Amino acid sequence: MLLRGWSFLLLCPVQNSDDLDRINRFKNGDTAAFGELVLAYQDKIYNLCRYMLGNVHDAEDAAQDVFLKAYQALPRFQPDASLYTWLYRIAANTCIDYRKKPIFASLFGDSGEGERLVHDRASDAPSPEQLYRSKQIGRELQISLGKLSPKLRAIIVLKEIEELSYEEIADTLAISMGTVKSRIARAREELQKLMQKFREQNP
Amino acid sequence: MNCPKTKLISAYLDEELPSGDRAALETHLPGCAQCGAALMDMRALRAAFASTARHQAPYGFSTRVMARTVELEKKKAPWFVPFFVRSAEAAVLLMVIFVGIMAGRFMTNGSSMTQPVNLASSLSLDLFDAAPPGSLGGVYLAMTEASNEK
Repeated sequence: MLLRGWSFLLLCPVQNSDDLDRINRFKNGDTAAFGELVLAYQDKIYNLCRYMLGNVHDAEDAAQDVFLKAYQALPRFQPDASLYTWLYRIAANTCIDYRKKPIFASLFGDSGEGERLVHDRASDAPSPEQLYRSKQIGRELQISLGKLSPKLRAIIVLKEIEELSYEEIADTLAISMGTVKSRIARAREELQKLMQKFREQNP
Repeated sequence: MNCPKTKLISAYLDEELPSGDRAALETHLPGCAQCGAALMDMRALRAAFASTARHQAPYGFSTRVMARTVELEKKKAPWFVPFFVRSAEAAVLLMVIFVGIMAGRFMTNGSSMTQPVNLASSLSLDLFDAAPPGSLGGVYLAMTEASNEK
């Protein structure tokens, strides 16, 4: 038991020194330091919200809420925890609890206006065919993800999109490693079935 | 019949299996079509995720967040502050009225400062005495009264 306690301390992620500096400045009344934190993490948090909620406007709304919650809670933040894990926790919970806007609001929400896309994994510039295929797969994935339960969606997005380890996911969602393992397996299984069904219905 | 080892495939793909389980699964995989197919499907799903674009926050996102934090700070002001400000405003207004009355009394009746102060009389319109008969006001009043009698 004691060993487990010590191993947790050893495995605890080291705080980024820039983050630590910004947190300290913010706690001393420098609100510009919070602006720097927003700039540093806005893409990661927005991307998570975008995959969790499926459209641009809900994603921006939820991502703004995440930073406002962080702004209010940051004075109580303990620097022995990782800031990005803490932000991901707020983001995952905000998206899980997010109430969809009325239907008339979401009718105008899928334009992708103002949003920027990054194909960061391609080694070279993708060809038009690759871009088309990527967009098609993205649509398939997004629709299938939308049919998963919010908890399964959160865990698979944290794993596959944000590329967190099981330990980081357990820390972010405050669940055990065993639960992480079983939920990821279940999310993959359900997602495969949903994507298969989507392909059959949209040949 | 379902192979019980298929439930390990997901963690194997993520390299999150303990070394013992990993070695056992690697020995098992070549001989189990079901586990082999499950691994291929999960690799395809991972490739699908990898090929999708990452979304960046829209332009002006941080500015909008910071504007909302300013709104939040405004709302955070204690509830009694507006009440205190209104009370101070009312006190200043009353003070100005009082000073005005006292100054008026002093100007209309220079020696009144030495006499006992009667606040009720200072507020009354009796302050304005009737026009004396020989004054311009008295002549005007006499003329208007004469025209009214006609």
